[in-house]
Formats: sequence, C-alpha cells, structure tokens
Amino acid sequence: MKSISEQNHYEILETHPAATKEEVERAYRLALATYSEDSLAGYSVFAEGDAAALRERVEMAYRVLSDSRMRSEYDATLELEPAEGLPPAEPSAPLVPIQNAFGESPVPLHQDEFTHLDDGSGDFDGQRLRHFRIRCGMEIEDIARVTKINPSYLRFIEEERFADLPDSVYVRGFVTAYANCVGLEGKGVAASYMKRFDKGEGDRRRGRFFESR
Amino acid sequence: MGDKLNKLAAKLLNGSSGSRRARLIPVGGGKGGVGKSFIVANLAASLARLGYRVVAVDGDLEGPNLHTCVGIPRPRASLADFVAQREEDLGKLLLDTPIPNLQLIAATDGNLATPQPTQSRRVHLMRELRELDADFVFFDLGAGTHAAVMDYFMIGDEGVIVIAPEPTSVENAYGFVRAAFYRRLRLAMASHDMRKIVTLAMDQRNDRGIRTPLELLREIQTLDPAEGARFVETMRAFRPSLIINDVRTADDIKLGFSIQSVCRKFFGIEAEYLGYVNHDELARRSVRARRPLIDVYPRSDAAIYISRIARKLLANGAADESQEGSA
Repeated sequence: MKSISEQNHYEILETHPAATKEEVERAYRLALATYSEDSLAGYSVFAEGDAAALRERVEMAYRVLSDSRMRSEYDATLELEPAEGLPPAEPSAPLVPIQNAFGESPVPLHQDEFTHLDDGSGDFDGQRLRHFRIRCGMEIEDIARVTKINPSYLRFIEEERFADLPDSVYVRGFVTAYANCVGLEGKGVAASYMKRFDKGEGDRRRGRFFESR
Repeated sequence: MGDKLNKLAAKLLNGSSGSRRARLIPVGGGKGGVGKSFIVANLAASLARLGYRVVAVDGDLEGPNLHTCVGIPRPRASLADFVAQREEDLGKLLLDTPIPNLQLIAATDGNLATPQPTQSRRVHLMRELRELDADFVFFDLGAGTHAAVMDYFMIGDEGVIVIAPEPTSVENAYGFVRAAFYRRLRLAMASHDMRKIVTLAMDQRNDRGIRTPLELLREIQTLDPAEGARFVETMRAFRPSLIINDVRTADDIKLGFSIQSVCRKFFGIEAEYLGYVNHDELARRSVRARRPLIDVYPRSDAAIYISRIARKLLANGAADESQEGSA
C-alpha cells in the first residue's frame, strides 16, 4: 500500500496515465478544492501542515502533467520504473495503467465516476448538460474560458433558448466543445442535442411565419 | 464477552451460505438529522416500485421515525417487541405499508429504561434480519457510533453513509467510517496483541500517536507482517458507500469526490460515491405529508436523483453476482 510520499503524479491527482488534458484539469481542480486549508471534506482529518504538503504535491503534479513536453518526459521515467535492470521498453509501448493502493485494478477515471452518477439514458438536453457541468464543479465562465465560446450562448444552450442561438452549424460546434469540456463524448452529445434544437428551431420558424401573416 | 458476536460476525462476513438471501443494506452516518430515514424510505420505495420486495427496518430504538416517512402513523408492532423478547420471530413484526412490495419493521414504543438490545439479543437480531423473506432489507441506523450501531453497520453487505454538506455531518461521517473500520479490523486480527493495538488506536489521543488507519497499518506491518497482510485484506473488503443529501451547489456535489479522495489518501479506504440528492422543497413537503417523496412527487428533482441511486444499487448487485459466479 502506497503512502502519499510514494505516490506518483497521476496517483496524487487521482487520475491515470491515459488522461486527456481536460481530465487532468478536472482532477487538479478537484484536488485543489479537497486540499484547500478550510476544505469541508478535509479540515477535520488534516493535522497541522498536512494540507499544505499535499497542495505542494498537487501543484507539482499539475505543473508536469499539464505541460505536454514535461509530461511525456515524466511518462518515460515512469515506464522505466518497473523494468529496472531490463532493457528499456519499446518507445511505442502502451502505458501501463497505474494501480490503486492495493496494487490491483486501475484507479477509476473521474470521467467514469461522473457518468456513473447519471443513469446514462435519454436525450442530452440543456438540463442534463448543466447537471454534468455542475458535477465537474465548473461554472459557465470556466467553460467559456476553455472553449472561447461566449458565455451567453452557453447559458442559452443550457436553457434551450433556441431562438437566441445562432445558426445550427455554430450550435453543433458549441455543444460539442461544451460536452468535451465536461467529460462527455462531444459528437454523440451534439447529435442528441441537435435533434432537439432542430425541432425547436422548426417550431420557431413556423411561429414566426404565422406571426408575420 | 463478545466472542459469540465475533464468531457470528466473522461467519456473516465470510458469507458462507450459498442460498439466495436478501441484500442487507445498513444506512448510517453518525449525525442525526441528515436525512437517513428520508433516504431509506425513498430508496426502499423506489426499489419497491421497480417490483422488488423490500423491507425497511427502523433500527433507531431511541428516536424512531421511519414509520412516519413510509406512511404508517401508529405501528401496532415494533422491533421493541423483539428487544423485550415478547416476540421471537422478526417476520411477525412486518407491517404492510401503503406502497405495494414495501414492508416496514418499526422501532416505536421502545422501553425507555433499556432501549438497546443486549448483546446476545443483537446477535439474534442480526441473524433474523438475514432470514427475512425479501430482495432488499434496508436497516436505518440511529445516530452516533454506539457499539450496537457499528455492529449492525458491519454485518450488512454494503454499508451506506448519508452525509449532509455541512461541517458537523462531515466530521461525524469520518468518525463513523473510522469506528466501523476499526471494529471490523479488530475482528480480523488473529493475535491478541495486535487486537490490543487496534483498540489503542481507537482512542484518538493514544500515546503512540496513531491518527489514521494508514498509520496503524504501518505500525502493525512492522510488528507482525502476517497480521499486516490480514489488515490489507480487511481494508480492501471495507468499501462504504456515500450519499450526499440536500445538495444546493456544485461544491456540495464535489464534496462526495473530495471525501472519497481524503478517505483514499489519509485512511487508505476506498469509499464509493453512490450519488447525491438535490435540495428540494418538495422533499420537505413529502415529509409533511408523511409519505415517501417517490410516491407523492415522483417527477421531482430529488425523486429522480434517488431513483438513480436505487438503479445504481441494483447495478452494483448485478456486478457482484456475476463476479461471484465467475469465481
């Protein structure tokens, strides 16, 4: 069983070597919240200096893992670790999933856990997207910063104010980016959302047509 | 004293019986007022609606109110009858509720002088709970970390801890996890000396300075490697589930993941985040109406989230079964 001092960067952030940039970002944000000085989840467990020491490890892990060059260098050292005394692994060899405290199954992906809390059925409507965003602990502004999409549009997507959104080509792109950002598979989610959009948009057009008469 | 209980608990933990038994799910949390009974009543009602035969047992002899949550104003029989040895057959205490497939064992009218069962009675109760004819048995534990409460938590297949996103509840939840784990650990240790060290570590101000299960593990590993291996085995098997109740913000939801992380890093314990239930004005109204939310407002936000947790419990059970089948 590994103590905190023995854990590698992935274990510290409780993510895995195949994590995407977004997953690393999410894991980092969660760790920051968990190990902040006045963390609700931690303050009664931490002894003097515990949280600060962990935050330092978290920052270090994030500095390395969020930089693709430093990360691949780090990954190379990880691959060498178990193979001590043996010839270096093939450069193209797939990364070994890291092990949990018991040295067995891989640490569960955060993404998986988020999906587990959802029952995984039904359309991806605005409300469901919002639930996923909240689960990741992200505000609209966070998604806007990452995706460079106007926050008002993101809000309209959640509220399904189809009439206030631009043309469907743009909306599809927005929803894809939004979904990727909250750990969902963008293309599928966008397809599901756009069905609703197209229907709503059709209704709007008809409405306008009747109004103008 | 306690040997008989230990033997029974060890037997139950090893799960030697191959027959198809009810899934026993104890629900605790340390603190009162976090919504344990509300969650139990609604998870039970939710599974009953899906067609499973469910029994909800109120284990809180000193503050019973599960009967109110499922809509039975004045139960005519109660667990207190079993405690006082007026009734030997737990099955005879089952009450039908307004919800089809859902039965209740209430805990009303306890003897104020001696509400808790004696140790031997507790052993008997735990055996009887296992024998109930149902698909699911939920056991709503009282507040606190009293020995009786911890024993009940320990015999279940999968203990659930209900937490409200507030400091008092989170503190007590950690206390609860620690107490449950140490008690289970004490059973697992073979040597008297190691059991004594576990007992010592249960005192938070112990003079060896052992604060967390991980630190205790290090201590035991150095003293006795074989016991250390048993320790790791116990730790691996101990997987409490968490439900965060009454969430209002994104941070409240994240709390479940954070507690999971703290348990992993500081205790070496893998907790499962089963889900969360939204703060919902309709939940309060359903309690006022003295009926499960699932029954009165099935389309409410909180009801939908509770149903998700119920479906997740089902999925977990199916996964366990297939694992057992392949073993």
